[in-house]
Amino acid sequence: MDIKFQKIDRYRWLIPKRGNMRVPGLVFSNDELMKTIQQDQSLAQVVNVATLPGIINYSLGMPDIHWGYGFPIGGVAAFDIEEGIVSPGGVGYDINCGCRLMSTSLKADEIKPFIKDLVLALYQNIPSGVGSRGVVCLSKQDETKVAVEGAAWAVKSGFGQLDDLERTEDRGTMEGADPSVLSDRAIKRGLDQLGTLGSGNHFLEIQEIDRIYDQEVARAFNLFEGYVTVFIHSGSRGFGHQICDDFLKEMNKHISTIGFQLPDRQLSYAGLQSDLGRRYLAAMSCAANYAWANRQILMYLARETIMKTLSLNPRDLGMALLYDVCHNIAKKEYHLVDNHERLLCVHRKGATRSLPPKHPFLPKTYHHWGQPVLIPGDMGTHSYVLAGTQGAMDQSFGSCCHGAGRVLSRSKAIKKAKGRAISRELEDKGIFVQSRDKRTLQEEMPEAYKDVSQVVEVVHHTDLARKVARLRPLGVIKG
Amino acid sequence: MPLTPYTLIDHTADLGIIIHGNDLVDLFQNAGEAVLDLMFQHKVLKKSTSMNISISGDDLEDLMVQWLGEILYLFEGERLVVTGIEIYPFTGFTLSAKLKTVPFEPESHNILREIKAVTYHQIEVTQRGDQWTARVIFDL
Repeated sequence: MDIKFQKIDRYRWLIPKRGNMRVPGLVFSNDELMKTIQQDQSLAQVVNVATLPGIINYSLGMPDIHWGYGFPIGGVAAFDIEEGIVSPGGVGYDINCGCRLMSTSLKADEIKPFIKDLVLALYQNIPSGVGSRGVVCLSKQDETKVAVEGAAWAVKSGFGQLDDLERTEDRGTMEGADPSVLSDRAIKRGLDQLGTLGSGNHFLEIQEIDRIYDQEVARAFNLFEGYVTVFIHSGSRGFGHQICDDFLKEMNKHISTIGFQLPDRQLSYAGLQSDLGRRYLAAMSCAANYAWANRQILMYLARETIMKTLSLNPRDLGMALLYDVCHNIAKKEYHLVDNHERLLCVHRKGATRSLPPKHPFLPKTYHHWGQPVLIPGDMGTHSYVLAGTQGAMDQSFGSCCHGAGRVLSRSKAIKKAKGRAISRELEDKGIFVQSRDKRTLQEEMPEAYKDVSQVVEVVHHTDLARKVARLRPLGVIKG
Repeated sequence: MPLTPYTLIDHTADLGIIIHGNDLVDLFQNAGEAVLDLMFQHKVLKKSTSMNISISGDDLEDLMVQWLGEILYLFEGERLVVTGIEIYPFTGFTLSAKLKTVPFEPESHNILREIKAVTYHQIEVTQRGDQWTARVIFDL
C-alpha cells in the first residue's frame, strides 16, 4: 500500500484522512528514521488503526515505530469509552511487557573487575530462555491472587518492600482483573513461569550512568554519573500470550458475525461496553498484574544475587526501585479532547506512558519532576531515562516511545552477523553478555536496531518526554 | 536442510513462512512440520507416545492458526515436544490428527527459537489449481 504523508515540521509527519480512515495518522520522527519507517509496513498499519470505531484525534506513531501485526509496534490509539473498541492486537501478545530500573549505591569502577562473575551468577539464578521454569511454583489459588493483586502479591510474599509499589505504574495492580474469565490453558501456562525473564528481546542489564542531561531531575531520581543501575525488560510470559490468543480467536468470530470487514484480522476488536470487550479487559488486567509480580520477583532475584556475589549487605548495595512502566497495554484514562475531559481507552502497543509533573497518579517523590520514562536500547548501546511532560498529555494521550525498534529482521540480522563473534565484539566494547545461544545474540545484535539515541532525540524535541540520564551497559543476560 | 517445503518471509519484528501443499492435508501437515523445524534442531530419538487431537476453526485461515497454535501450546503448556504428525483427510474446518510426542527435557532438546504465538496478521490459505499455499506470521 502506498501511503501518502506530509511533513508538518522537523519532527512530525501527517497521514491525511482518506478512504475508511476515521481520523488522520500522525507520526513523530525525523528524516533519517522516516527513511527506515517507510521500508516496512508500519505506516500502512497506522492507516489501518485509523479505521477502527471510536478512535479519537489521530492514529499515532512513535519514533521507534516498526511493522507489527495488526497495530504497528510503537503505535498509540485512544478510543471513546462509549462508542470505541478494545483490541487485543492493540495491546500485543506480551501483555504488560515493560521495564523496571533500579538505582544502586555502587560505583561502576568498583564492580567492573567482577562483572563477568556477576553476569554469570545472574544468568544462573534468574531463569531465562525457552521452557524455563520460575523460582515460584504457584498453586491455582495463588495464581488467582497474583492475577488480582499483581506486584502487591509479590511484596506480600516476601519479594521486595511496600515502598516498591509506590514506584510502579498503577502501584503494580491493575483494577478490574477477574480470573474467572480466564481459560484453563491460560491458568496452566501461568503456574510455573513467575520469576522468569523469557527469551528474545527480554533482558537484565547491569549499567553505568554515563551521562546526565538534567542534574536536578536526575538527583530526584537518585541517578548520579558513574554509579550502577540495574535494568529489567520482561512481561507476562506464556500467561499473557495465552490470554491474547484466547481473545483474538473469540473476537475474530465476533467480527465475522457483525459483518465488519477488517483490513487485517489481527485488528479484531470488541466494543468497550460489550460483554466480550469487558471480559477481555478483565483478562488483560490479570496478565498486567502477573507481569508486575514477575518483574517484582526478578528484581528481588537480582538484588539477592548481586549481594551474594559481591558480598554486600543491603545497605552497601543500596538498591532502590526507580520506577516500573509497561509498554504493551490498554488503559482507561481521562484526557482532554477539544478542551473537554473525556474517559478514553488508550492502547499503547510498544509505547510508554509519560505523565507530566503534578499529575495525580505520580508518587510523591516524583510529583515535581514527572514520571520516569524508561527507554531500553539494545545490548550494545545506551538506555535512557526520561521524565514525563505536559507535551505528551497534549499530543499523544500521555505516551512516548518504548525503545529502539528493530530495523533488521531476525534472519537479516543473522546473515549480517555470519562469521562474526558478537559476544566478543561486545566484550571489546566493555560489555559482557551471557545468552542461551549464539543465535539470540546474532538476532539481537546492535545493528538489528534503530539508533536509540535518535529515537530519544525526537521524543525530547517534540516534548513527549525530557532527557534525564543515559545508561551504558556493562553486563547483559539474555534469554 | 529444512525437513519440509517452506520459505521464510522477512518481517522486521517477527518471522513468517510460506508453506505449500498438494492438498489441504498436505498443506496442514507441512505447516505443522515447518513449525517443528523452526523450533527444534534435532529429531528426538526417544520413545514417543501417541495422542489424537481434533481442532476446529471458523474458516481455513482460523483453522491454520488454531492448528499451529496447538503445537505451540503442547510445548508451552504441557511441556510436550511433537515429534510426529499424521493428519487425517478432512473437509470443512475441523481437523483430526495423530501426534507423537515426547516430554520436553531442557538438557536433551536443542531449541532453535521460541515461537510464542501464531498471528492472524496477513494470514492466507489459498488454492491455485492443484496447489495449496498458506502464509503465516509468528510472534517471536
